Amino acid sequence: MKKRLKSSLKYFVLVLVSAVFLFPIAWGLICSFKPEAEILSYPPHWIPKAFTASNYSEVLKKYPYLAWGQNSLITTVAGTLLILICSSLAAYAFGRFQFRGKKVLYGTVVAMLLIPIQAYVIPLYLMCAKLKLLNTLTAIILPSVANVTSIFILTSFFHSLPNELEEAARIDGCSEFRIFAQIMLPLSKPALSTVTFLTFISNWNSFLWPMIAIRDDDLKTLPVGIAQFMGTANSNAQFQYGTALAGCMMAIVPTLIVFLALQRYFVQGIASSGIKG
Amino acid sequence: MLNTQSSASAAGACRPKKSRTKSPWGSQGKVAALFLAPYLIIFTIFRFGPSVAGIFISFTKWDLAGKPVFVSFDNFKRLLTDSNFHVSLLNTLIFFVLTLPPLILFSLLLAIFLNQKMHGRNVGRAIAIIPYVLIPAVVGIIWNWMYDDNFGILNYYLKQMGSPSVHWITSSKTALASVAVVVVWTYIGYNMVLFLAGLQGIPNELYEASQIDGASKTQTFFKITLPMLKPITSMVITLTLVNTVQLFDQIYVMTNGGPGTSTLTMVQYLYTSAFQNYELGYGSTIEIAILIILVLIIWIQNRLMKSEEM
Repeated sequence: MKKRLKSSLKYFVLVLVSAVFLFPIAWGLICSFKPEAEILSYPPHWIPKAFTASNYSEVLKKYPYLAWGQNSLITTVAGTLLILICSSLAAYAFGRFQFRGKKVLYGTVVAMLLIPIQAYVIPLYLMCAKLKLLNTLTAIILPSVANVTSIFILTSFFHSLPNELEEAARIDGCSEFRIFAQIMLPLSKPALSTVTFLTFISNWNSFLWPMIAIRDDDLKTLPVGIAQFMGTANSNAQFQYGTALAGCMMAIVPTLIVFLALQRYFVQGIASSGIKG
Repeated sequence: MLNTQSSASAAGACRPKKSRTKSPWGSQGKVAALFLAPYLIIFTIFRFGPSVAGIFISFTKWDLAGKPVFVSFDNFKRLLTDSNFHVSLLNTLIFFVLTLPPLILFSLLLAIFLNQKMHGRNVGRAIAIIPYVLIPAVVGIIWNWMYDDNFGILNYYLKQMGSPSVHWITSSKTALASVAVVVVWTYIGYNMVLFLAGLQGIPNELYEASQIDGASKTQTFFKITLPMLKPITSMVITLTLVNTVQLFDQIYVMTNGGPGTSTLTMVQYLYTSAFQNYELGYGSTIEIAILIILVLIIWIQNRLMKSEEM
């Protein structure tokens, strides 16, 4: 009897904890399906009286929302792919090759973990101005490729792989690149998944730099576009909670898809690196 | 690394004709350079170069339109007497003090709770992490809606319970704390994962031994679990501090630094100085200040960790 009580108490706590994390999202989702008049009515109720998807069509009509989504998708996917390619190549060199200056070079790269984008946005802005990249999606993609967390995770992973396969391949006359691409990479799926997850989320959510780098409304990414909803709230009466919430809900769908697909790697990832992508 | 060397010589042995040319960068220097090149080029242009250049820019007066003028330590002197910067520094400190205790307490409790064997614990863990992966701007809007003075659900519940409504983010008294709640909500799951890793890293033998010695559950917790979690806790403290220093997205969306300067953070101030007032030199000086603070934090943490080991 006591045992049963204890276990039902456990589930009660579990439900309570989940509710704390889900409540704000659920409330936002529900309100996104209410007409604005009902959102701004008192008292609030959980089930929409006049269920409507008009907020969703409104946000697509009023803002270049689809363009924002497309820009977000392009920059995130391109950035993530480039990170996977460049970082795995470089990390492989750090983890498995013997060359002079390796320690200093690796040390310099990893030391940059200390310096977040906030501490170098201004020179980065000037650099991109010089390269005529400002106000292009390239200006968002390329700086994101200089990702250090991925180097950190992949280097220690490559370093830990056993030598036997590599040696056998060398004896067979495999080139270093083929050893890397056909033997080592397929073994690295867990580490690559962790990196994919971390970089996808950090690129998708990236805010400060895209806001600075992009001027045209049509070239903005979702986080920057969405932040504008609130900006209009401060300055003029056009702001509506319904449309803003609808825009928010659509923007988190890709996050949730990637999260559900790669969540277990994420847990391993932060547990082993402890660092934000 | 020893292994890599031996495999390199094995490769040399099997292909004696194409023996590697001796390069000053070591036997695998050339291959390594090819593998490293794509990353290092981008890294140098977009991360390392700008980080170093920032130091030089911080010694200049630079309006976006004009050319940089060397002004020696003027920007740093101005920073020391700039009341806005002082406010942003103080806000950062208050924010840290507000968020750290609940973050440590709740994420540790949650980690212990979700480390038990029970159905649904993986679902629970996943749900706890969701806030961390959401776009901060989205999180800001969702919470702003709950915080709304007139129609927000939080004030509705407060009124139901008979207490007066709170001007969560529209009063300079409560705005910083209200944003702190959002940040705690966001990062609990993330820190929980760190604590979970810490809990799972405690060797089982310790628990077995304490069981044999007849220790109670409370004793085991305070004498084994907590002390063994010290390194992770110190890491969580450092990460929280680092995240607080970098805080921007949520603040920008929720309060834009206001009301007044009540939620002004260092990054918000940096953004305003550099990209709204176009003072690039002075903005860089704020960046350098942020960097110095970050380096100090990490340095202190390392010192503390080392002194504990000895």
